[in-house]
Amino acid sequence: MPLADALSFLPSLATAAAEPAEDAAALRRLAEWCSRYSPWTAPDGTDGVRIEITGSAHLWGGEEALAAELMARLDRRHVATRIAIADTLGAAWATAHFAEGKSPIILPPEGCRAALAPLPVEALRLDPAATQGLRRVGLKRVGDLYAMPRAALVRRFGESVARRLDQALDDLPEPLSPLGEAPIRRVRLSFAEPIADPADLLRATERLVADLVPRLAGEGSGARLLDLVFHRVDGRVERIRLGTARPSRDPRHLVALFKERLDTVDPGLGFEDVILAAFAVEPLPPEQIGLPGHPAGPHPIGNEASGIAPLLDRLGNRLGLAAVSWLDPRASYIPERASVRVPVGETLASSVAPAKAGAQGQPAPRPGSLDPRFRGDDETRPPRPIRLFEPPEPVEAFWLLPDDPPFRFTWRRRRHRVTRADGPERIADEWWRPEGSGTGSRESGDAIRDYYRVEDEEGRRFWLFRSGFHVGDYKPRWFVHGVFS
Amino acid sequence: MIERAHLHELRERIRRIERPTALVHGVLPFGIAAIDQVLPGGGLALGALQEILGVGGDEEDGALAAAFAAGILGRLGLHRTPETPAPCSLPGASLAGGRPGASPPTGEGRGGGMVLWCLPRPDLYGPGLAAHGLDPARLVLVRASRDAEILWAMEEGLRAPGIAAVVGEVGSLAAVASRRLQLAAERSGITAFLLRRWRVGGQAAHERALPNAAVTRWRIAALPSKSLPGEPGVGRPRWRIELLRCRGSEPACWEVEEADATGHVSLAAALADRPAAPVPAQKFRLAG
Repeated sequence: MPLADALSFLPSLATAAAEPAEDAAALRRLAEWCSRYSPWTAPDGTDGVRIEITGSAHLWGGEEALAAELMARLDRRHVATRIAIADTLGAAWATAHFAEGKSPIILPPEGCRAALAPLPVEALRLDPAATQGLRRVGLKRVGDLYAMPRAALVRRFGESVARRLDQALDDLPEPLSPLGEAPIRRVRLSFAEPIADPADLLRATERLVADLVPRLAGEGSGARLLDLVFHRVDGRVERIRLGTARPSRDPRHLVALFKERLDTVDPGLGFEDVILAAFAVEPLPPEQIGLPGHPAGPHPIGNEASGIAPLLDRLGNRLGLAAVSWLDPRASYIPERASVRVPVGETLASSVAPAKAGAQGQPAPRPGSLDPRFRGDDETRPPRPIRLFEPPEPVEAFWLLPDDPPFRFTWRRRRHRVTRADGPERIADEWWRPEGSGTGSRESGDAIRDYYRVEDEEGRRFWLFRSGFHVGDYKPRWFVHGVFS
Repeated sequence: MIERAHLHELRERIRRIERPTALVHGVLPFGIAAIDQVLPGGGLALGALQEILGVGGDEEDGALAAAFAAGILGRLGLHRTPETPAPCSLPGASLAGGRPGASPPTGEGRGGGMVLWCLPRPDLYGPGLAAHGLDPARLVLVRASRDAEILWAMEEGLRAPGIAAVVGEVGSLAAVASRRLQLAAERSGITAFLLRRWRVGGQAAHERALPNAAVTRWRIAALPSKSLPGEPGVGRPRWRIELLRCRGSEPACWEVEEADATGHVSLAAALADRPAAPVPAQKFRLAG
């Protein structure tokens, strides 16, 4: 009935505006909180949460204990619930919504068929038209549908009836797509008394890492993406996400990385659960270390790079993983493409490893062997500046003849008079590249650059280029691309 | 027997106390007699903090300072012998690293190990570094927008094994921060270079006057290049290298040319700016 009618019946009716968005958010938070029982949780509709407890029920002492604990915690939060545990999602849903009996209801294994039979057909999660149709022909209970021929049901009421029935009876799988990704490895620590002290948090982190590392070692893999999730007593969830440049299972290193971020989590009244989950692991074979007391021999290349991997992780996790990079050469005439910054985390993720990658994707510096793409193919290639500006900085230049270098230019509000110049070196766009070129990205007339190495009266040497030609009234533009030493 | 061992140990301890701390980790000679003579120990002190400034417009870009640092880093390696510095005996080992394409130096001063380069703007160019003798494959670039973060990254690098040198480009530097870097460098034996870059003249003037704990302070300026006979255009680049401050030595100034085809870096003729210690003229070698 409309609200006005209801108010006319009962003027003192308490009303509140419906907030479906907030309700949905609260349901999500509840589902997130339920992830302390299992990582496979998802909100169900507008008023339920699905949890897949296969394989995690034993951690709580059995399904009854788990259900009882869940019930108790939700009662403490003043959430009225009905809990049902069954073999299949469909059966659990039906039991929770329609079965009579005291919650929590746990169906015995293989007992779905018998338990579902007395429930009304609405328990099969069908749409209202289908349930009305079923009722009209006299099929009021789920048990009535067992004996009906399948083909007739589908023809009359649609295939959803058969599908839901099969899902409830475990003849058809119904996967649960969890909130967030499913972790590969997960360890959990619960506390009888909530903890909030930073020293306690650190010790909990150390315990969890010490738990996780042997499992990774057993598989010969190392973690690259880790999540440390803290469950607060009031239901909120805080997390710290950590990435490493190289797979790692060194407990000291991982604890040090977490320790730096521990003060970003707000414990509120305390944490009752701490969960460490690994989302990305990669193979990590055992490494040869030096014997104590013996001087380390000449470093094999892999060890040299691995020695700085903890440093790269620390730098990357504080400054951002994109802030730490290698310089990678590329075979390209366009100057800004010839040397590319590659973030350290990417060399492992990408399948196209740089040409100089070592066994585990780390660039292997070999003293004395300079990559030829950095050096230039021959000695006659003009020199390259040591500083390159991205993007090139525009200058105002004055020149006499169209092909001449400028005799004066103004850059950053300073005037420079050119005493000597070398050039031009013409660099055009790379027509063989499908995605277009860097030089032609601005305007269609600027596809060709003429580079000049100029020296001003003080002795500073710049790398200027002219972009575009004198065509009619079009004036080409000049830029400073780099500074030489 | 026991007394002799004790005596030897005592002698070692006294020697360590008397020797300036800057030379605990050895030195890297430049290979140019005029410069090496001025520096205590005959070369650039390893395991210490060095500061490099620019001049005029180059203060903003830091190209010359970067080139100077790259030339040194190209020859700086992980394998250090504390007492005996590795002399650069081959003519190929020079400040500028020779022309692109020249064979890299193969003497004991060969560079190896990773170099951590921390900068606020990502404007370092690989082929340019290679031309100065530093293999860009050895570089790990760390980009941080604030000076405090760059100094933190440098300190982390100074504590990591496997790093041969740390370079940081900062504008403002507190004396306390520089002291921490110097101590960290001494403890680990990793050499640290501070490249000072400023955009604002006022800040530059203020910061230049502040003292800090760097063992040496260099200033590199560009000079008009020397024309090659018969070739118009930009000739062989020349620089003025000034040693503004050095612990245990006097300030000095040199004008240096880029290496010619044989790889020699040579000292230009004008040495009139040198103050202090009189050195006989025949010790310098002029360009051929």
